[in-house]
Amino acid sequence: MGPLLLASVLFYVAGGVASLLLWRSEAWAIRVGSLAAVVAGALGALAVIPVLTTGHAYLFSTAGPFPFAAFNIRIDPLAALMVLVISLVTIAAGLFSLSYLKGYLGRGAAAIGFFMNLFIASMVMVAIVDNAFYFILFWEGMTIASYFLVVCERDDAAVDAGFIYFFIAHAFSMLVMVAFLLLFMETGSLEFAAFRAPAPPTWLASIIFLLALFGFGAKAGMMPLHTWLPRAHPAAPSNASALMSGVMIKLGVYGIIRVGVDFLGASTAWWGWMVLAFGAVSAVLGAFYALSEQDIKRLLAYSSVENVGIILMGAGAGMVGIATRQPVLATVGLLAALYHLLNHAAFKGLLFLGAGALLDGLSTRDMAQMGGLGRRMPWTALCFLIGALGISAFPPLNGFIGEWFTYQSFFIAGHGADFAGRLLGPIAAAMLAITGALALACFFGAWGMIFGGAPRSERAEQARETPAPMLVGMGLLAVSCVILGLGAPLIAPLMSDVVAALAKSGSLQVASGMLVFAGDPHQAVVSPPLIAVLMLGLLTLPLLIAAVYRGRRPASRITAEPWTSGYQHTARMTVSSGGLAEPLRVMFRSVYWLHGREEPRRAGAAAVANLTAFATRVEPLWDTASTRLATQVVRGTGRSLQTLESGNLRTYCFYIFLALAVLLLAVAW
Amino acid sequence: METALLLLVGLAQALLLLLVAPLLSGMSRVLRAKFQSRRGPPLLQDYRDLGKLLARGEVIPAEAGAVFRIMPYVLLVAMLLVAMAIPALTTRSPVSATGDLIAIIYLFALGRFFYALSGVDSGSMFAGIGAGRETTLAVLNEPVMLLSLFVVALLAGSTNLGVMSASIFAGQTPAFAATAMAMVAFAFATFLEMGKLPLDLAEAEQELQEGPLTEYSGRALALAKWGLYLKQAVAAALFLGIFVPVGAAATLAPLPLALAAVVLALKLVVVFLAIAFVENTMARIRFLSSSRLIFVAAGAAMLALAFSLAGV
Repeated sequence: MGPLLLASVLFYVAGGVASLLLWRSEAWAIRVGSLAAVVAGALGALAVIPVLTTGHAYLFSTAGPFPFAAFNIRIDPLAALMVLVISLVTIAAGLFSLSYLKGYLGRGAAAIGFFMNLFIASMVMVAIVDNAFYFILFWEGMTIASYFLVVCERDDAAVDAGFIYFFIAHAFSMLVMVAFLLLFMETGSLEFAAFRAPAPPTWLASIIFLLALFGFGAKAGMMPLHTWLPRAHPAAPSNASALMSGVMIKLGVYGIIRVGVDFLGASTAWWGWMVLAFGAVSAVLGAFYALSEQDIKRLLAYSSVENVGIILMGAGAGMVGIATRQPVLATVGLLAALYHLLNHAAFKGLLFLGAGALLDGLSTRDMAQMGGLGRRMPWTALCFLIGALGISAFPPLNGFIGEWFTYQSFFIAGHGADFAGRLLGPIAAAMLAITGALALACFFGAWGMIFGGAPRSERAEQARETPAPMLVGMGLLAVSCVILGLGAPLIAPLMSDVVAALAKSGSLQVASGMLVFAGDPHQAVVSPPLIAVLMLGLLTLPLLIAAVYRGRRPASRITAEPWTSGYQHTARMTVSSGGLAEPLRVMFRSVYWLHGREEPRRAGAAAVANLTAFATRVEPLWDTASTRLATQVVRGTGRSLQTLESGNLRTYCFYIFLALAVLLLAVAW
Repeated sequence: METALLLLVGLAQALLLLLVAPLLSGMSRVLRAKFQSRRGPPLLQDYRDLGKLLARGEVIPAEAGAVFRIMPYVLLVAMLLVAMAIPALTTRSPVSATGDLIAIIYLFALGRFFYALSGVDSGSMFAGIGAGRETTLAVLNEPVMLLSLFVVALLAGSTNLGVMSASIFAGQTPAFAATAMAMVAFAFATFLEMGKLPLDLAEAEQELQEGPLTEYSGRALALAKWGLYLKQAVAAALFLGIFVPVGAAATLAPLPLALAAVVLALKLVVVFLAIAFVENTMARIRFLSSSRLIFVAAGAAMLALAFSLAGV
C-alpha cells in the first residue's frame, strides 16, 4: 500500500509538471494533466482501501534532508479515509476537467493543470505525513497551489478573493505553527508520534487545542473565520472549487480531530462543547446565508460552511463522549462526523461540478439568468437533483445517514447522566433540524431556479446538454451518493473501526444485516436499503391507481403557457429565487442584519485605505508628466481620427472613391 | 415470521389510511358547509372527484419538466411509507427500519421538497409563490416537530416511534408535564403540517389557486390531491399513534387489529372534527406574521425540554 500511494503522489507531480511543460499545446496539457490525476486518484484509492478494511496502519520512515525532522509517513485509518475522500473527488474532477478546461484554452489551462495536480499531491501528503515540520510544509504547499487556482481568472474579484484567502490562510496557519511549537517545547520532538505520547498539563493542552481549533477552523470555513470561503471557492475554476469545497476544507476538520482527539486525547469536556457550538453556529448561519444567494457557486460555498458545521457538531459530540468517558457517544459522534465528511465530499463535489457545467454552458453563475434547463440538460439536471437530495438529507441517500448518526449522538448525549449533555443534546438536535430545513429550502430554490420552469434568459433558452466527460465525472459522484446511502450497513462498520483506532477505544457494533444502529438497536434502527426497496414496492400503488380508466382517458395535451388569471403570459411572470427566500429573510431579519451590518464598515475601511494610499504615494513627477504627455497625444490623435468614422454609408463610399482615385493617380504617375 | 406479519400490518395500515383519507377530507368539506349554513356536498364527494379526475386527460404547460410529472408519485410513495412506519394499529412500529422519528420527519420533508419543486417546475407564478411558502413553513415547523418528539424520545429511551408510543400507552412516562407540553407543541406542528386554516398558506385557494397544484389537471391532479389527503390523514395518525395510543393492538391477532382499525377511524374522525372547528372559526393569518405563531409552538417545545430536564 505504501509504494502504491507513493506512485500515486509521483503521478500527481509528474502529471502537473508534464501539463506545465506542454504549455505550447494546451489541448495535450489538459489531457495529460487530467488523466494523470484520474490515474493517481485511482492508485491512491487502491492504496488506502486495505488500511480501511484491515485497520492496520502503514508506517514508513526515512531520514530526509533535514537533521531535525525525519520524513515519516503514517497511513492510519483516519489518514486512509482522508486519502480516499481526496481520491474520490479527484477522479471525478479529473474526468470533468478533460472537457471543462477547454474553456480555459489560451487562459492558462496548462498552468491550471499544474497547480491542480500539485494541490492534490500536497493534500495527500498533509493527510499522511507524521511530522510537524513536513506537515506545515505541505500545508503551505496546499495553500499556495490553491491560491494560484483562485486567482487564475485574473479579474478584480478573483484577485481580491485570492488576497483575502492568502491573508486568512497564513494568519491562521501561524496559530497551527504555534500549537506545534508548544507541543515541540513540551516533547522535544517534531514527530507526531511524540505528540501522541504524553499529555501536557491541562492548561497548556487547552491553549494548544484552542490554537489548533482556530488555526484549522479557518481552513475548514468555521464561522466566524469563514469570510474567505464564499469569495475564494467561487473564483476558482469549478473542478478546483469541487476539490477545495469537497476536500480541502475537510483537511481543516482533519487537523482539529488530529490534534484534539489523536494528540491531546480530547481530555476536557468543554473542548467538545466548544467544537459543537462553533459547528452549530456555522451550520445554521451558513444555511441562512446560502439560502439568500443568487450566485450558484457562492450558494454552494456557504452550504459548505453549513456542512462543515454539521461535521463539527458530530465531532464535538464525540469529543465530549471521550472526555466524559461515554464510549458509545464518543464513537457515534465521531462516526457521524467522518461519515458526513465523506458524504459531503461526494455531494458537494458533485454540485460544484454541476455548477461548472452550467458555467461552461451558459457563461454565468447568476441563477436569475437560468431556468428551464431541466428540459435542455436532462442528465445534468438529474445529477444535480441527486446531489440536492443527498445534501438535503433525504432517505435513503447518503446525507441522511450522516445526519441520522449526528442526531443519534445528540440523543445519546441527551440521555446520559451529564446535565450539560441532557440540556445541550436536544438543543443541538433542534439546531440541526433548522439547518436541515434551511438546506431543503436552499436546494429547492437552487434546483427550481436553475432547472425548473421556463428559461429566463437568451442563454438559458439556447443551452445544450453538457459534454460527456463532464457528465461522467458528475455521474461518478452521483453514483457514490447513492452507494454511500444504500451501502450504509457495510460502510458504517468500517467508519466505526476508523473511530476505534482514532479514539483508542473498542470497536462498536453499528450494523447487522440490513440494519444500521447507533450502538444499541433498541435505541433506534434504520435501514436505507429496506427504505429503498419499500419505496420501489409502494410505487406500484400509485401506478396502479393511475392505470385506472387508462383506455377511456384522452391523451395528455401540452399547452403553450401556464395560466395567469387570463392575462397574456410573459417571461417575467415567474418566481425569482430572491422571491422564494424573501419570506425567510423577513422573518429572520436579525440573522441577515448581522451580515448586512458588516458591509458598510468594510466599505468604509476600503475608502480609508484608498485615501491613505493616495495621500502617502510618492509622486514620480517626471514619469507622470512624460506618460501623461504620451497618453494625451495618442488619445488626441485617436479622437481626431475618430471623426472620419461617421457611420454614414455615403461617407464610406466617398472614402473608397477617394482611395481609388489616389491609387489610380499614383499608378498613372 | 413476525417481521413479515408486521410488514403486512404496515401495508394494511397504509392502505386503510389511503382509502379513508378522501372520506376524512370529504367530512371536512361537509362540516365547513354546515358551519357556513350551506347544505354542502355529499360525504363521499371527494371519491367522486378523484374518480372523475382519473378519467380525464391532462393539460401540461409547455415548460413543465420531469419533476412536475413525477411529483404526485413521489408524494404518494413518501406518505405511504410514513403510513406504513407509524404505530397506528399496533403500539409497535410495523416497519421499524423506517420507524425512527428522524426518518419519518425527513420522509415528510421529501414529499414536501418534491411538492414545492413541482410548483416552480410548472412555470406558474402562483404555484411558485405557494412553493416558496411551503418551504418557508417547513423551516419554521421542522424544528418544532423534531424537538417535541425528541423530548418524548428521550423520556422513552428510544427514537423508535413504536417504543415511544408503547411507553406512553403503558403510562410509564417519567415526566407527565413534559409529555403534555410536547404533545401541545407537536399538535400544533401536526396542524400546520396538515395545511388547514388559519395556516392554509401554501395552497391558499382564494389567494394562490391551490399553490403548487395550480397547473395540475386530470390524472396527475387526482394523484396529487390524494397524496395531500393522505398526508393530512398520516399526520393526524402520527400524532394519535404517539400521544393517544388508546385502542392500539398489543398483539398481532386479527380481532384486536380489527378493533384497533375501528378505534383508529373513530380517533381520526374526532381529530378532524376538532380541526374543522378551528379552521372554520378563524380567518387565514397573514403569511409574514405566521412565524410569530410558530415561535409560540417552538416555545412550548422548549418548555417541554425544560420540564423533562426537571423531571416533572
